[in-house]
Amino acid sequence: MLGKLRIALWALVLIAAATLALLLTRPEPRPAPPSGSELPLTAIGGPFTLVGADGKPFASSRLAGKPFAIFFGFTHCPDVCPTTLARLTRLRRVLGKGEDALAIVFVSVDPERDGPAEVGAYAKLFDTPVIGLTGTPAQIERVKKQYAVFSAKAPQPGGDYSVDHSASVFVMDKAGQFVATISPEESDATALAKLRRVAG
Amino acid sequence: MRLPVLTLVLALAACGSAPSRIVVSDAWARATAPGQSSGAVYATIVNDGGDDRLVGVSSAAASAMLHANDSSGGVARMRMVAALPVPAGARVTLAPGATHIMLGGLKAPLTAGDSFPATFRFAEAGPITVQVTVVAPGAR
Repeated sequence: MLGKLRIALWALVLIAAATLALLLTRPEPRPAPPSGSELPLTAIGGPFTLVGADGKPFASSRLAGKPFAIFFGFTHCPDVCPTTLARLTRLRRVLGKGEDALAIVFVSVDPERDGPAEVGAYAKLFDTPVIGLTGTPAQIERVKKQYAVFSAKAPQPGGDYSVDHSASVFVMDKAGQFVATISPEESDATALAKLRRVAG
Repeated sequence: MRLPVLTLVLALAACGSAPSRIVVSDAWARATAPGQSSGAVYATIVNDGGDDRLVGVSSAAASAMLHANDSSGGVARMRMVAALPVPAGARVTLAPGATHIMLGGLKAPLTAGDSFPATFRFAEAGPITVQVTVVAPGAR
C-alpha cells in the first residue's frame, strides 16, 4: 500500500519536473515584429473587403487588372501620410502613363476616428484620384495581417493620440501580387524604378 | 593701424556671447481636409549669429508643438521634442518626414492659397513671427 503510494508520488514529481522543464525550455513567444518580417514577402497581399469613402463595401476585386500602390496610415497624421501620398501622386505623374496606370490606395489603421467621410475627404485633398479606405476594426486588423503592417496608438499630451505605423508603401502588380516596398528613405529614382516594374 | 581693430574683433568673438541672428523663411503647410484636426508647418531657419534654440511655436490657427519623426525599423513614429538646437551658423530645415511643427486642434481647414501667421520663439533671439503659406497637398 505504502509502496504504491510512494510510486504514485514519485510519478507526480516526475510529471511536475517534466512540465517545468518543458515550460522553461519552450521559446518565449516573440513580440510582434515592427515591420512584419515574419511574413514571406511573396505572401503579402490577398483579397480584402474594406469600406470605401461612400460607406459601401470596397472589395479588392475592384483593383483586379490594375497595378496599385497601397499605404497604411491615418487621417490625423499631419506629416508622414500626406508626404507619402503626395510623393506617390507626383511619381505617378512622372510615370506619364495616366491615372489609370496605377491606383493609389490609402487604408486607415485608425478606424475609431476615420470613418468613410474622413478617409474620403483626406483622399480628395489630392488633385488626382486616391482611393481612401477604412473598415471595421476587425476588417482593418485582417488587412494589416495580410500586408504585415504594424500599428499602435501612441498617446500624446492632452489626451489625444497619434498612431505609430509601418511607413512603407507596398507595390502590387495587376494580378495583385506583391512586387516591392517603397520606404520613405529611398530616393525618388529608386521608387520610380519599382513603380515602373508594375506600371511601366 | 588695423591690428587693434582686428584684435578687438577677435576678442569679442572669443567671448562666445555673440547674439544669435535668426531668419525664418519659406514657412509653409499643406492644405488639410475638412474635419482633419492636425497639420504640419515646415520652414527654413538660418542662424548667422551665436548658438540658439527653437523652444516653441504658437499660432492662432491651432495649437502647435515641435515634433520629430523617427522611422527606424520601418515604423513611422511622431514624438514631441522640447526644443530644437539652432547652432551658430546653422541652417536648419523643418521638412516633410523629418522634424516639423505639428498643428493640433485646427479651428478650420487650411486652404491652399491662404496664409496664416505663426510665431517661432527662440531662447536667445526671442519671438519671430512669419506668414505660413498653405499649398496644395501634392504641390511639394
